[in-house]
Parts: sequence; structure tokens; C-alpha cells
Amino acid sequence: MRPKACSQACANASQVLPDTMDFVVTTLLNALTLISILMLVGLGLAISFGLMNVTNLAHGEFVTVGAFAVYFVQSVGGSFWLGLAAAPIAGAVVGCILEFAIIRHLYSRPVSTVLATWGVSLILQQGLELTFGLGAKPVTPPIEGTFDLFFTVYPAYRLILIAIAMLTLLGVVLLISRTSFGLDIRTVIQNREMAEGVGINTRRTYAIAFTFGAAIAGLAGGLVAPLAIVLPQMGVNYLANAFFVVIVGGVGSIGGLVAGSVFVGGLTSVLNYQISPSLAQAIVLLAAIVAVRLRPNGLFNGASR
Amino acid sequence: MIARDRNWLLIFAVCAALAVVYPFIADGYQLTVIRDALIFGLFAASLDFFWGRTGILCFGHAAFFGIGGYIMALVTLNDAIPLGSLLGILGAIAGAAFVAAIIGYFLFFGGIRGSYFTIVTLAMGVICQQAAVSWSSVTGGDSGLIGIPPIAFDLGEIHVDLSQDLPSYIFVASIVAVVVLVLWSLSRGRWGAVLTAIQDNEVRAAALGHNAPLRLLVTFVLSAAIAGLAGALYVCMAGLVAPDLSGLLLSTEVIVWVAVGGRGTLLGPVLGAIAIQRAQQTISSFNPSLWPLLLGCVFVVIVFVLPDGILSIYARLKSLFKGRRQAQ
Repeated sequence: MRPKACSQACANASQVLPDTMDFVVTTLLNALTLISILMLVGLGLAISFGLMNVTNLAHGEFVTVGAFAVYFVQSVGGSFWLGLAAAPIAGAVVGCILEFAIIRHLYSRPVSTVLATWGVSLILQQGLELTFGLGAKPVTPPIEGTFDLFFTVYPAYRLILIAIAMLTLLGVVLLISRTSFGLDIRTVIQNREMAEGVGINTRRTYAIAFTFGAAIAGLAGGLVAPLAIVLPQMGVNYLANAFFVVIVGGVGSIGGLVAGSVFVGGLTSVLNYQISPSLAQAIVLLAAIVAVRLRPNGLFNGASR
Repeated sequence: MIARDRNWLLIFAVCAALAVVYPFIADGYQLTVIRDALIFGLFAASLDFFWGRTGILCFGHAAFFGIGGYIMALVTLNDAIPLGSLLGILGAIAGAAFVAAIIGYFLFFGGIRGSYFTIVTLAMGVICQQAAVSWSSVTGGDSGLIGIPPIAFDLGEIHVDLSQDLPSYIFVASIVAVVVLVLWSLSRGRWGAVLTAIQDNEVRAAALGHNAPLRLLVTFVLSAAIAGLAGALYVCMAGLVAPDLSGLLLSTEVIVWVAVGGRGTLLGPVLGAIAIQRAQQTISSFNPSLWPLLLGCVFVVIVFVLPDGILSIYARLKSLFKGRRQAQ
């Protein structure tokens, strides 16, 4: 995603550079696009890594699977929106199988989980490559053209992406804070034994929460597909960044997720203007390491917990 | 404990004897194949020294291998530097150790352990590979650097020239033997005991007066330094350096070598590296994209079937027969 996003962003920037206001708004919107995607990918990771203590290195593949779902639906003649509906379903199916076949057997063995999920990630990547062939897959956005935002003109699809991401996040917040299933999740997270004691099926709750996170990551993959280079190996970039979102933001709250996404996504977007994307990535990594050193429990959670 | 040490030394002696005999029965090509496999074995031992002793998995160890390789290539390709090979090796070791020291300082003293450490090192590997690709004025970009000369230097009375197969094999094999022996004596002595204590319960180890972050940091730096040495050796033997030397796939493969060979045994990972590379060459000759697929399956199988590596099959069989005898 990064190279293409950057070149688009740079093209935008060169059009609008004379006007500072244009430039600022475009930068902000580019950052917002990246932040939205990172929040969606990070959400599933915050659930599995942050709350269930499961290091799922196959999380990036949920994004890939979502993007491929959109490509597949489009390639057989379906519309983008149909593909976007298929993306979270594809993510959920893969996530559900993964949880059922592997992760639930390894809750007590963290290093084994790392190895096994990495194995699954390799298998999924090669499986996709063997099924769909080598090379980047084209995905066309549902809407071409730009939208006049008074200060600047901006690609319409990116605005839609930001809107869908925000609505999804809002939906998740409502789901966790308002429904009885959300209450179950919060109970299990706070104290697993106690939750079992009051009759909550913790295994089922974990499985559903994990599948749910995979579905959201699949949706993120579907949303980002028209902007990104759709490859079987595309997941690893999201994986690394999403982990930083969770680590920097701190686990356990939507606020931490937002803070982490703003930190990683904002810094990456701003740096992408000045320097090459790889160097920008390296600097974001270093900044994240320093941030973790200074605030071990996350930006959002304060010094102690 | 004593019996275990004796067994380890016995296996080590057998391996060393095989390594000594091998040049007499193998031709030049086979010798170079084993030599390159041994270099990766050294790399695997370096990861095992950290992962096996601390229980913390580094998922970007190839970054240090690659850093060592690139430093070696840049130093030896620069004609202005005298004693290029020797300074290259030292520079490779120092460079990898330096990067590990910086990253390790922030992580270990920041209280980062376990999965968090794994993730950060994973990202470190990704970034190293990206840096190697994009910093093309220095690293040669995607195609890397070629024409790296074999190790050769004169140091007073000592003349070293490794352009031939046999001398380079002897050089590599003796380095691997010495390093593995040193790492083993380190990890079975007091140093290893403290690391085990930290792995079991860091708070208690700290309460006993051990500076846990410092111990972990030094172990990590040492491990990275050896990975850098392996990278430097490999680059000279192969004659080229490319971005995948610091890539995620190599980081992954080295974990498999250690996991298959047996974590914490130091010798097992070396053997695992040699065996798996043979398998890889055979399988890749059928279909190159089959290898990562199989690698993925190996990961899953190891976790569920052989959590302690191939060497554990023997112990398992033994306990199985013991159990049966007791049952009768």
C-alpha cells in the first residue's frame, strides 16, 4: 500500500503545494486514511494480542484475504460493494478456522502460538499465490473522481473509506459497551476464572471475539484493496504496523487503539512527504520503541496501571 | 546434569570427527555446500544462544546476519581500506553488536519481554530488508553487491588465503566448532544458570541481586555479534550480498532450524540447519514456491508434534519403552 499511497499523496501534494491550506488538509486526510485502516487492522489485534494474550502472526493475512475477496468478486463480474461485503466474511471464515484448529489448543504456550500462526501465515500466502498466480491483482475503486472539499479536492473513494472505517469503529464501541455479548467480552477480559464462575462460556467468547477481529481486519483489507498493491505478501506490512499500534497505544481500551493509530499512522503519513517510505518506516519503528521505553503501558494508559 | 554434559560432548566429538573426515571423502563442490550450510549453522547457534537460554524469541535475527554481510561487503569492496577481510569481519561483528545494543537497551530496560519483543524484532527485520532495498546508492538496491573477494589477509607471519575450497572449509568448520564450544561452556556455567533463573522468574532473579535487563542485553548483543560474523563469512564465500540476507524469510528459516534441531542444545540447531538446507535444495529443485508452503507446514507440525525438536524423538522413544516396561 505504502508506495502507491505515497505516490498518490505526492501527486496531490504537487498539485496543491502553492496553497498551504490545501496542503495541510490533504496531509490530514491522507493521514486519516492510513489511521482509519490501522484502527481497523489494529482492532482485531488488540482483541487477540492485547486481551487474549495470543500473538497471532497470521493477522496480516486476514487483511490479504479481505483484499483478495474483493479482487475475486470483481474478477467474476461482481461489483466492488459486493466484494466489500464478502471481505469480512472471508476474514471471519479464515479466522474461525484458525482459532478452532490451532489457537485454542495453544492458549497456554505463547511461543508455540507465534510459531504456529507464522506457519499458517506462510501457508496462506503460498496458497493464495498458487491459486491466483504471481503478480499484483488489480482492484478498481467503486467511484472514480474527486470530491470538492472547499479547501482542496480529494479522491472521493478515500473519503468513503474514512467514513466506513469510522462507522465500523463506532459500531464496535456500541457493541462492546451496549450489548450483552459486549458485557460477556468485558467480563472475560477482566477475570477469566470469575467469568467462568458466573456461567460465561469463555472458550466460546474467545472464539467469537477472535473471529470478529478477523472479520474487521478482512473488511480493512477490502477497503484498502483499490489503493494498495494486492499481493499475497501484502499482509506483513499491516501486521508490523498494527502491532505497533497496539503496543504504543496500550492494550485494553478503544482510546489506546485510537492513540496508537494516530501515532503510527500520523507519523508515517507526515514523514512520507519528506523522505523515502522505507526510511519513514524505520523512523516510525524507532519512535515506537522509544515511546514504549518512556510509556511502557501505552500512550493512553498513563504511567501506571 | 553431568551425564547430560558428557552426552553433549560425545555428540560434539562425533560431529567434529565427521567434519574432519568429510574432506577426504567429498569432492570440492560437496565441500562448499557443507561449508555454506555450516555458516548458516553458526547463525542458527547464535539465535539458539539467545532464544534457548532466555526463552525470548527474536523474530528478526536475519537483520544482524544482513548487517554483518553488508558491512563485510562494503569494507572489502573498498580498496582504500587495508586488511579488508580482517577489518571487514571485525566491523561486521561490531556493527551487528552495536545495532543490537541500541535496540536491546530500549527494549530490555523498557521492560519489553516475551511476545512484545518478538513483534518489535519482527518489524526490525522487515525494516532492515526495506532499507537494504531502498538505500541503493550504498547497498546496490534489489540486486545487491557482487564481486566480494574471498577472505585473504597477511598478519605478520600468518598468511590466510581462503580462495580455495579446502582452506575455506577448514576455516569455517573450526570457527563454528570453537564458537559452539564457547557458547556451550558459557551457557552451562554460571552465566547460563542466571539466564535460566531470569527465564523462570525474573522478579525473583532480580531480588537475588541479578541485573536481569543487563544480562539479557549482553546475551542479545553476543548473539547478534555471532550472527554478524556468520553474515560476514557467508558473504565472502558466496561472493555477493543481497537484501534477502536480512529478510523475513531467512529470519523464519533460522527459527525453524533451531526449533527442529532442538532449542537450547546449540549443537542441534547446527545439525538442523544442515539437514533442512539439504531438504530445501531438493524440494526447491521441483518447484521453488513449494518451499515456503512446506516451511509453514513444518512450523505447525513442530508445535503440535515435536515441541522439543528432532533430538527429542530419542528421549521420547526411551520414555515410551520405559513406560511400557513398567506397565508390564
